[in-house]
Amino acid sequence: MSSEATANAEEHAHDDHGHHGPKWLAHHFDTPAQQFDAAKLGMWVFLAQELLFFSGLFVAYGVYRSWYPEMFVAASHQLDKIMGGTNTIVLLFSSFTAAMAVRSSQLGKQKATGNYILITIFCACVFLVIKYFEYTHKFHAGLLPGRFFHPHAEHLVAGAPALPANTGSFFSIYFMMTGVHGVHVVIGIGVLIWIWIRNNRGEFSKEFFTPVDIVALYWHLVDLVWIYLFPLLYLI
Amino acid sequence: MASQTSLHPHKDDGAVHAHISSSAFYVAVFMALIALTVLTVGQSYVDLGRLNLIVVILIATTKASLVVSFFMHLRYDNKFNALIFISCIFFIGVFFAYTMNDTERRGELDGDQNVRVLPKTGEDAPGGFVPHAASSGGEHGAAPTGSGAAPAHH
Repeated sequence: MSSEATANAEEHAHDDHGHHGPKWLAHHFDTPAQQFDAAKLGMWVFLAQELLFFSGLFVAYGVYRSWYPEMFVAASHQLDKIMGGTNTIVLLFSSFTAAMAVRSSQLGKQKATGNYILITIFCACVFLVIKYFEYTHKFHAGLLPGRFFHPHAEHLVAGAPALPANTGSFFSIYFMMTGVHGVHVVIGIGVLIWIWIRNNRGEFSKEFFTPVDIVALYWHLVDLVWIYLFPLLYLI
Repeated sequence: MASQTSLHPHKDDGAVHAHISSSAFYVAVFMALIALTVLTVGQSYVDLGRLNLIVVILIATTKASLVVSFFMHLRYDNKFNALIFISCIFFIGVFFAYTMNDTERRGELDGDQNVRVLPKTGEDAPGGFVPHAASSGGEHGAAPTGSGAAPAHH
């Protein structure tokens, strides 16, 4: 939405509409505050949609966990709490740096904003690398969704409870939830790079930091979903 | 309709007046989030029985509230955005309540309704089930036959 707004602003900056606002102010908004509020409103509606979208997976989790509590406990023992916990801290830290990027942008500190965005992108990549190692272990151990579930005893966690035959349904839920979340992380890296480039071009200022704010909101949502995924999947 | 209109003296200048938290405050929120993460990992080694899930959800929701209120600025934002977020959470609650009200109670009312429903799968739902000749359908609390997948807690 913000790119359209900028595009419009640029388009109209060159013709004589009697429009004398800042370059970044789209001509259909009266004031910067109106444009800012409209952008935030749109983003919150989108975030609500994202949460409702994820809620389908959480309901599936709730139904299956309630039906097969012992199977969920046994399957959860095969997940690595240390890797999951590290990823939680990495994401929380990236959320912190995203908030600091917005703060720097609000204060007009272009260089600090860029650096905080870079740290956020770096953390997102670390998250994906750790996730890659986790997934690789699952593939090797045959801890796969549904009918592909065929555990290899030598790769399983020693001393963990035996896995019931229907454990594949836990891993269906595990791979769907973490996979859809992972897709959001990848998209997050993309929009963070986009906002980093725009920041480098000097498009943002104390008066106009909306795109940084909006992208940070998206990144916080990715963190928000993981805050629930980590204890529900790893810490049963 | 700038956010913070009531708090800011220049409410009519049309400029954006967003709340700016201090760095120290963001660091404090981050430290609280880490502390709660350590707490939830530590709790996972202590078996609280049925309370486990409740404690886990409470800690996660506290963390989520910190992120939403401060990192996402909802605490200082236009109240309409908060309304959107709260309604979203409410409808997720409706989604859970209505779905699990079904999945948690399948088979419970079979005797009263003179039908049999296979728990979990929901096959042979009310109205669509013809009792087998061998069974004396309609007994109160009759266990569904042929459902080896009956949950242990029913």
